[in-house]
Amino acid sequence: MNSRQDKIELLRGTLDMLILRTLLLGPAHGHQIAKHIQQSTEDVLQVEHGSLYPALHRLKEKGWLTSKWETRDTKREFKYYRLTAAGKKQLAAEESRWEQLVRAIARVASTVTEVAK
Amino acid sequence: MNLWQRLKILLSRQDREHDLAREIRAHLDLEAEEAAPGLSPDEARYAAQRVFGNSTSVKEDVRRTWGWTRWDQLLADVRYGLRQVRRNPAFSAIAIATLALGIGVSTAMFSAVDAILIRPLPYADAGRLVMIWDEMSQIGFPKHHSTPAEWQEWRSHNTVFTDVAAAESGQAALSGDGEPEQVPARKFTGNLWTVLGVQPLLGRVFTEDEDKRSTPVVVISYGLWQRRFGGSSDILGRKITVNDSPWEVIGVMPRDFYFLPARDIDIWMPAAFSAEHLRHFSWHDELIVARLKPGVTLQQAQESMAALSLRVTAQLSPPRAAVVVPVREELAGRTQTSLIVLLCASAAILLISCVNLANLLLSRGAVRRREVAVRAALGAGRGRLIAQFLTESLVLAGLGAAAGIALAIPVIRFLRTLVPETMAIANLTLDGRVLAFSAAIAIVAGLTFGLAPALGGSRFALQEGLRDGGRGSSGARSYWFQHALIVLETALAVVLLTGGGLLLQTFQHLQQLDLGIRSEKLLTFEAPLFRYRDFDKRVAFVNAELEEIRRIPGVASAGAISRIPLTEIAGTTRYRFPDQLPTQTRAQDALSRVVTREYFSTVGARLREGRFFDISDRLSQSPVVLVNESFADRNFPGRSPLGAKLQFGRSGPKAYWYTIAGVVKEIRDRGVAQELKPAIYRLHEQADQTGDAPVGIVVRTTVDPASIVAAVRQAIWSVDKNEPVTHVQTVEEIVARQLSAPSQATALLAAFAMLALLLASLGLYGVLSYAVTQRTNEIGVRMALGATSANILMSFGRRGIALTLVGLGVGLVLAIIAARFMTTLLYGFRPGYAPAIALVSVILLSVAVIACLIPARRASRIDPIVALMHE
Repeated sequence: MNSRQDKIELLRGTLDMLILRTLLLGPAHGHQIAKHIQQSTEDVLQVEHGSLYPALHRLKEKGWLTSKWETRDTKREFKYYRLTAAGKKQLAAEESRWEQLVRAIARVASTVTEVAK
Repeated sequence: MNLWQRLKILLSRQDREHDLAREIRAHLDLEAEEAAPGLSPDEARYAAQRVFGNSTSVKEDVRRTWGWTRWDQLLADVRYGLRQVRRNPAFSAIAIATLALGIGVSTAMFSAVDAILIRPLPYADAGRLVMIWDEMSQIGFPKHHSTPAEWQEWRSHNTVFTDVAAAESGQAALSGDGEPEQVPARKFTGNLWTVLGVQPLLGRVFTEDEDKRSTPVVVISYGLWQRRFGGSSDILGRKITVNDSPWEVIGVMPRDFYFLPARDIDIWMPAAFSAEHLRHFSWHDELIVARLKPGVTLQQAQESMAALSLRVTAQLSPPRAAVVVPVREELAGRTQTSLIVLLCASAAILLISCVNLANLLLSRGAVRRREVAVRAALGAGRGRLIAQFLTESLVLAGLGAAAGIALAIPVIRFLRTLVPETMAIANLTLDGRVLAFSAAIAIVAGLTFGLAPALGGSRFALQEGLRDGGRGSSGARSYWFQHALIVLETALAVVLLTGGGLLLQTFQHLQQLDLGIRSEKLLTFEAPLFRYRDFDKRVAFVNAELEEIRRIPGVASAGAISRIPLTEIAGTTRYRFPDQLPTQTRAQDALSRVVTREYFSTVGARLREGRFFDISDRLSQSPVVLVNESFADRNFPGRSPLGAKLQFGRSGPKAYWYTIAGVVKEIRDRGVAQELKPAIYRLHEQADQTGDAPVGIVVRTTVDPASIVAAVRQAIWSVDKNEPVTHVQTVEEIVARQLSAPSQATALLAAFAMLALLLASLGLYGVLSYAVTQRTNEIGVRMALGATSANILMSFGRRGIALTLVGLGVGLVLAIIAARFMTTLLYGFRPGYAPAIALVSVILLSVAVIACLIPARRASRIDPIVALMHE
C-alpha cells in the first residue's frame, strides 16, 4: 500500500512540475499542455491526456493556477490555464529540489561506474 | 477549507460538473480533429478517447480534487439509509418506534430537569445564595425555622457571608376597595432585596432604614397589581388598606420573582423587628438567606456557621447548631430526587432502546452480509463500510428523534404538574436547549447502537461472505454479544420495575393511612382573627360566625381550629410536668392546637380514652387539654394519662396547669406523609394565655361542599363585613394535593418500568425469533434425525429463560443499590423488598416465557422437508 502511494506521489510531483513549467511559457489549454509535454520530452514521457486534468484541478485548488474560458488562436472556446505568482514560486522550489535529486543520482551513478571499471 | 466554502462548492456542484464535461469534450474534439486525417469521424473519436484515457475515471479523479467527495459520500449514504428505511418498513417502524420511546421520554425528562434544576433562578448569582436553618433534630426538626435573635447575631458575627437577611411569615387582609381578601404575604428585613440581588419592575423596594422605623410601605407582586389594581400605572404611592391600616405601595416586583416558601406571595412588607423580638430565641418563624463571600465554599460556611450558632446559643439548653443549604436545593426540595430518579429511569429506557436496536441491526447485519461482501469486492474499504453503516444508524436515529419529540410534547404537559409549589411555574417547553439535547442524544444513540453492528458487519472477510452464499450459520461465536445485550436490558428493566414497585407500595401505604378524621364532605377555610386581638371579642366572634354557618342548609356541623388539619408541620410548644425542672424538658416538643368545642365531632375524630371537650369546660380556672396517642405513649407508656397535669406555651407562676381529660386517636395534623408527633389540643375559650386563635374553620356538610361556599362567605360577612375568607378547600382536595407529587412520581416510574419491560421482552423475542429463522436448516436436520418438537421447543425456550434469569439476578442486585438513592421518595416508609422482588420476578418471567415461547413454538413446528430446502 505504502510503496504504491510513494510512486503516485513521485509521479504526481513530476507531472505537476511539467505542467507548471509548460505554463511558464504562457497561458495554455489542456490539449496544448499535453502536446507540449509530449513534444518537449521527445515522447519519452507518454502521458495519458486525461491524467492531466486531475493535476490541473488540483493545482488550481492550491492556488498555483487560474483558469478561464477564452477564445484565442482558433474560433473555439477553450479553458486556458495561467500560472499565478504562487505557482511561479512553487515551480522554482520544485525545480531546485529536482536538481538536487538529479545531482545526487548522477553522483551515485558515476561512483558506481567508476567502481565497475 | 471551512464549512461555508464546502457548502458553496456543494451548491455550485452542477456548474462545476458542467464545466468539467465541457472542458473534456473540447479536448476530445480537438484531438479528434488533429488525429490522422483519413479516419472516419467515429474512428477519429475512438482514437482521441484512446489517447485521453478513461474519461469517467478522470472525472472521478477531478472531483476528488474538489474536496467534497466526503460530503458527497455522506449524502449518498444518507440517501441509501433512507432507501433502506423505505425498503424494510416493518423493521424501520419497530426501530423508529423503539427509538422514539427512548428519545421522547428522555427529552421530556430533560426539559423538566432543565427547568427545575438547571435554569438560572431569578436572583443575581443564585449559586452563591444559601439558606440557614436551626439544627434541632432532638425535637424532630433537623431544619427548623430560625429566630430573630439568631438572625441578628449571625448577621453581625459571621465571617463567611457578605450579608444575611431574614423573611418572616405575614398576613395581609386587603379591604377598602373591593371584596375583603386575605393574600399571602411575607415580612422581609430591609436587606433581603440586596442579598437576593433583585430589582423591582416599578418603583423601589423598602430600605433597611424604613424597615427599622416600621414605615408602613409595601411592595406588591405583579399578579396582585394586575388582578386587584388592573395593572394601573398610578399604583405607586397609592395608600391601600392592609390589616385595617393604610400602607403605601412603593414598588411592584417583576412577574418572575418569587422566593421561599411559596411562589404566590402577593405582598412584601418590612419585618420591623421590635427590640423585644430581636432578643427572641424561641420565635421560630424566620427563613434566613445569605450570600456567600467570594471564595468561601459551602463546606466552609457550614462549619463556620455551625460553630458560630453553638456559640450564640450557648446559654440555651441545648445550644443549637446551624445547617447551611444552597437555595437551589431548598427550592427544588423533594422534587430534586424524584426528577433525578426519573431522569435515570428515562436514561435506562433510552439505553434499552439502543440495545434493542443494536440487536436488531446485528441480526440484520448477518442478512446483509452478502451485500457487504459485494461492496467490499467492488473496492469499498473497511472505513468506508463502517461510515456507511453508521450513517444508516444515524438516519434511523434522526427519524426516531423526530418521532420522539412529537411524543415528548404530551409527556412534558404531564410533567408540568411536577413543578414544586416553592418554585415559579417553570416553563416546561420544547425550546432550543431541549431540542439541542434531543439532537445530541439522537446522535449519541445512533453511534451507540450503530457501532457494534457496523464493526461486526464490516469485518466479514470478502471471500467468506461471497462463498457462504448468505446461508448464515455464523455459529455460537456471534451470539455472546447479543446475549450480553439481552442480559443488560433485562437487568435495566428489572431495576425500573423494582423501583416502580417500591414507589407503588409507598403510594398505596400513603393512600391507606388513617388520617384520624373523615375526609369526605369536609370543607375548610380560614377566617383570620388578627382584627380580634381582644380575647373576649375573639371568642365571641368565633362562636357567632360558627353559629351563623350552622344555620346554612346542608351544614351538619361546624368547628374551628388554630391550624387547618393536615397542613401545618410546625406550630409546636415545649411542655412540662409538675415534677420536672425546666431544664429537663428540652426534648419535650408537641404540636399545640386551639380548637372549639365542636371541632372533634365535626372532623370525625375518635377517642382512645377519656372525653372530648364539653359544656363544663368553660372557665379558665380549671383548664383541660386533650392529647393524642403519640403524646400519651411517649409520656405515659403503659398507663393512662388521664388526670395528669402539665404546663405549656407559657411558664412562670401564672401559667396554667392543664389537666389531661382525654386521649384522641392520632390525627395527621402535620400532613398526610409527615411523621406523627405528640399533640396537645385546648379549648379556645380557655386559651387566653396564647396568641393562637382558631382561624381555621371546618364544616361537615350533607351536600356537595362546593355548593355552600358562597353561603358560608355570606354567613361570615353577616357577622363582620370586613372579614376575609381564604384558603377555601375540602379536606379531600388537601389530601389529593399532598399525594399528587408521590402519585405522579409513582405513575411516571411505573409507566417507565412497563415501557422498559415491553422493550426488553421485544428484544428477547427479536433475538430468539431471529435465531430460529437463521437456524431453520439446522432444526430441519435435527428433526430429520429424530428430534421431537418438544426437544426443539426446549432448546430454544431454555436459552431465552436462562438469559432472563441472568438478567433478573443482575437487575435485582442493581435495584437494591438503586433503592438506596430513592429513600427520600419513600416518605419514611420502609417498603418490604420481598413483595416487590417477587412481583417483578413473576412479571418478568411470565413476559419472558411468552417472548420465548412464540419463536420456540415456531421452531418446533418447522416441517423438516421445508426446512432442509430452505434457501
